[in-house]
Amino acid sequence: MTATTRREFAKRLGLSGAALPFVWGLPGLASPAAAARPKQRLVVVFSPNGTVPSQFWPDADDGPLQLKRILEPLAPLKERTLVLKGVSNKVRGDGDNHMRGMGCLLTGIELFPGNIQGGSHTPAGWARGLSIDQEIRNFLQRDEATRTRFGSLEMGIAVPERADPWTRMSYAGPNQPVGPVSNPYQVFERLYGRAKDRESVRSVLDGVAAELNAAAAALGDEDRRQIERHMAFVRDMEAEMSRPDDAGLRHPMPPLEEGVAVDNDTIPKLGRMQTELLVNAFANDLARVATLQYTNSVGQARMTWLGIPEGHHSLSHDPDGNAESQEKLTRINAWFCGEIAHLAGRLAETPEPGGDGTLLDHTLIVWINELAKGNSHSLDNLPFVLVGAAPGFRMGRVAKFDKAAHNRLWMTVARSFGHDLPAFGNPAFCDGGALALG
Amino acid sequence: MRALHRPAAALATALATASCDRSSVTADARTGAEVYAAQCASCHGPSGEGVAGLYDGFLHGTLSTAALARVISDTMPKGDPQACTGDVAVRVAAYMQGAFYSPEAYARVRPPRIDLAHLTIAQFENSVADLVGGFRAAAPAQEGPRGLQAEVFDGRDFRRERRKVERIDPGIAFDFGTNAPPGSGAGSAEFSIRWRGSVLAADSGDHAFRLRTGNGARLWVNGEAKPAIDAWVSSGGEVQEHHATVRLLTGRAHPVRVDFFKFKDRTASVVLEWKPPHGAWAPVPADALRTASAPEVTVVTTPFPPDDGSLGYERGTGVSKAWDDAVTRAAVEIATHVAAQADALAGTRANAPDRSAKLRAFCGRFAARAFRRPLGEAETAAIVGATFDGAKDPEAAVKRAVIRVIKSPWFLYPELSVARDPGRRTASRLALALWDSLPDDALLRAADAGQLADRGQAAAQAQRMLADPRARAKLRAFFHHWLETGRAADATKDAAAFPGFDAAVLADMRTSLDLFLDHVLWSEASDYRELLGSRRLFVNDRLARFLALPPPPGPGFVLVDAAEGDRAGVLTHPLLMTALAYHKSTSPIHRGVFLTRNVMGRALKPPPEAIEFKDDRFDPTLTMRQKVEQLTKPTDCQGCHAVINPLGFSLEAFDGVGRFRRSEGTKPVDTAADYPAPGGGTVRFANARDVAAHAVASPDAQRGFVQHLFHHLVQQPAGAYGTGTLESLRGAFVGSGFRIRGLAAEIALTAALHAPAPAAAGQEL
Repeated sequence: MTATTRREFAKRLGLSGAALPFVWGLPGLASPAAAARPKQRLVVVFSPNGTVPSQFWPDADDGPLQLKRILEPLAPLKERTLVLKGVSNKVRGDGDNHMRGMGCLLTGIELFPGNIQGGSHTPAGWARGLSIDQEIRNFLQRDEATRTRFGSLEMGIAVPERADPWTRMSYAGPNQPVGPVSNPYQVFERLYGRAKDRESVRSVLDGVAAELNAAAAALGDEDRRQIERHMAFVRDMEAEMSRPDDAGLRHPMPPLEEGVAVDNDTIPKLGRMQTELLVNAFANDLARVATLQYTNSVGQARMTWLGIPEGHHSLSHDPDGNAESQEKLTRINAWFCGEIAHLAGRLAETPEPGGDGTLLDHTLIVWINELAKGNSHSLDNLPFVLVGAAPGFRMGRVAKFDKAAHNRLWMTVARSFGHDLPAFGNPAFCDGGALALG
Repeated sequence: MRALHRPAAALATALATASCDRSSVTADARTGAEVYAAQCASCHGPSGEGVAGLYDGFLHGTLSTAALARVISDTMPKGDPQACTGDVAVRVAAYMQGAFYSPEAYARVRPPRIDLAHLTIAQFENSVADLVGGFRAAAPAQEGPRGLQAEVFDGRDFRRERRKVERIDPGIAFDFGTNAPPGSGAGSAEFSIRWRGSVLAADSGDHAFRLRTGNGARLWVNGEAKPAIDAWVSSGGEVQEHHATVRLLTGRAHPVRVDFFKFKDRTASVVLEWKPPHGAWAPVPADALRTASAPEVTVVTTPFPPDDGSLGYERGTGVSKAWDDAVTRAAVEIATHVAAQADALAGTRANAPDRSAKLRAFCGRFAARAFRRPLGEAETAAIVGATFDGAKDPEAAVKRAVIRVIKSPWFLYPELSVARDPGRRTASRLALALWDSLPDDALLRAADAGQLADRGQAAAQAQRMLADPRARAKLRAFFHHWLETGRAADATKDAAAFPGFDAAVLADMRTSLDLFLDHVLWSEASDYRELLGSRRLFVNDRLARFLALPPPPGPGFVLVDAAEGDRAGVLTHPLLMTALAYHKSTSPIHRGVFLTRNVMGRALKPPPEAIEFKDDRFDPTLTMRQKVEQLTKPTDCQGCHAVINPLGFSLEAFDGVGRFRRSEGTKPVDTAADYPAPGGGTVRFANARDVAAHAVASPDAQRGFVQHLFHHLVQQPAGAYGTGTLESLRGAFVGSGFRIRGLAAEIALTAALHAPAPAAAGQEL
């Protein structure tokens, strides 16, 4: 994408200034091509319990991408979407398919034997190696040119507050799971400090000053002077807080809606809050790798906002013949796709600071699932969907493989960052090298 | 006034001898007082009290005379520093030291007054814990059984119907090998254990916890919502170490729970260890555990700048930006914590129809408890009403109201809040003196019923309060401050001179001292004479071996007769001896200064020149005593060292780690010395026991101890409570049989019942 002015850019998208929140005021936007190497980012989005194959897979392997119901929300971004057929999780060993579907998904390596028993198979512990998001994070952090303040962000939506092989997909190393943060307020605090509390503090300073005044009235000289010194600090704090919070940031912080409860029914809202925080974090270059984990393996969210009261995992175990359940599962997966389309859209709306194009031009979103199908627990032919852009990737089509190990997909993603790995995870699954996605 | 230039020769006569050259017309022969009056008083006032607009504040500090002279020489008078240099500056400095500058002189000239003080760090964190704690269930008494309540289950799910054993375990340190817990009847391949109770902290601060297991376990400390350690997943069959750090408050029981399970692992083991602020890594001992659980304690973790220690004890005087910032951050921390539990604290539920009203009522009660008094109508409207009306939702309102209350001067400056209510004022002062915290409900009820106006009833309340763990904690803190045990923190010693000394031995020493203090203070007699005169010592196996004492007759720490050596209670305690010593040797000077100031109650000026003790400058065949005598021989030093040295030498029988010794190298240890009594004449001390006996019998020493305790409990100068107060407290202390607990109560009552002088225009509290 060539360099453009803000106005031209907005016109191209058919957006008026009012519809673009928080984008204006970025320094250096109007200046043409940046000198630095273009940035590259990765977002891995997880949803559980498999998909509905008949409503998911495009029929044709060639030609323009045809989107069925589940992938329909990606229609506006069809040119930038890549669906992979025939990529499988071949890792076996300890743990049942859900546990391995989760723990071996980003790591490509077996789980340790352990004490956590799934629905079948042997009990297992944590994964034996680090995950691809952490591998790429470490690679980027090693080089000053690509280093960011946080490196990576691990975010969740309604992930249960337990650390076990069903809730963890990221690993910093063997036996070192990295937990996602599901509370957007906590994420905000980590990224932007205690800015949100400033409003609460600011609101009470008047009252405190009045009380100090009343307290000083009854005192003698020396004591009153101490109270006056105290009052001076309160006044200083008030002055400090009336300056804008985001001095020093390239991109304004997103205002978070206050008082959103963190529970099942607010999952859609929480997801959007996390998405906003992620887009802003990218725009401020606070990190270049992120994971967004919707619930967990065997996730039992109740999609009440879709009018579906049953738990997701329970539904996923109903037989193929149960048309009602399959319909619900289709709508659930379509909803997940919609959320990913929304994330991609927000990235596409946000100009790349200091560079050309948009954030999406320099970001690869990978939608992953622990299973291919919930009721069969199949790990073959997993529904991998890529949206956005990465060097060497040709988008807007289906790429078909024949039972390729998913380790090789991760090698390809790493290579798009300039990180050439001879193998990733268990080397036994890396024959053939990186997948050709160009 | 411009000074005359002086020839260089005159500058060389720094510490002048009698033959100063008076023939030069430019030599300055004025006394220090005269120079001060001529050149300094115009800005600093005739007695160092300052002049408004020119130098605002009393001129006082802790610099030695030489250092003060250098400051004057280099920088003063302001605008013309050449006007007072060299020996003239020294004379001025010497004058100032004696007249008003040194802490002792300053205390003399400035009329003692009760200063406006905000909460100290300890008072802030204790008050917050009790402020929120008042809305939770009451904590159980801490006298119950030690250890943890244990339940062993067959199967990995802690199912009640498969519970096999209920018992008390002294701690969590088990290696089951490949078997089930012995005698439990649970299956060896799959079983679970739950331990519950509470944990006590000897000192407030960060406690590091370590859970070592190859199986699955979770640890909760002071927080039921989220485990401090979540090691549920065993992985690869190896024992892993998991860490967490939790801040605990002394004087309080914090709930603790461990869930543990084995499932198809080959072996099973679990150990829970900790490292308290002044301790070494060790399994959490039974002494720190109680089987009764307790409600969560609200512990503030925001770091604060240190309290003002310029008078030698902690006070909440003076404000700084760092302090105001810390208060604000702490307010946010507390508000977030309270808002998250608001429904439970306010006695309501998420969907209750009257939830908003309940939350408002809670905020009103929260403010009243924090301010130690009921709120007026306008106050309630401002703090509760306006906040709730203006906020987006009740949770945000609760958060704001809490921030407002914590930042309020009515919370931070207790005296200001209760100034107009004598009963509440007495209650507030008693709670601060004995607990460093807020008054509890019983005390407030007594106040409102007018009972606290009667000294007898107030004394009964003080007795009740002394029995509370918070009073124990405050008194323990006093003794650690008085005995300067902080000097021993992280002490390391030369391995050749003191083989075997390590962090574990140091931790044992501290435990030994704590147990001894508890043993004396909380006995019926609570006798100061036993504190200084006891020949007994708490030792465990390791400490006994280190001190070359016979092993104790039982497990853990036992009170034994340290038969050899003339031990004198805390004065010769190994922790003190270790703290007041160098890396390779004793330090009679540090020990002497400590005894002079803290135990004998005598004032000591700072040294004219602070000189470092360099061991290698001396003839190595000399004993430490001989080296010190040589070093401090000059007349100028003897002014103080005539007092310091005999006291320091009396402790030479105890080496740099508190072991008794009869000889130092090849020479015998000599502890006998002549001590100049304050009134004149000398007293012969043969050893430390004589020093202790003198400290008990001497009215000056008694008064010194009373004053130290007064300062710690009340945090105001004793003189501000009347000129005869200290003496009458001393008399009562002696008359009661030197009962320390009694003295603490009397001090607290004196401060609590002190009525302000009749108010004149601009009069302070």
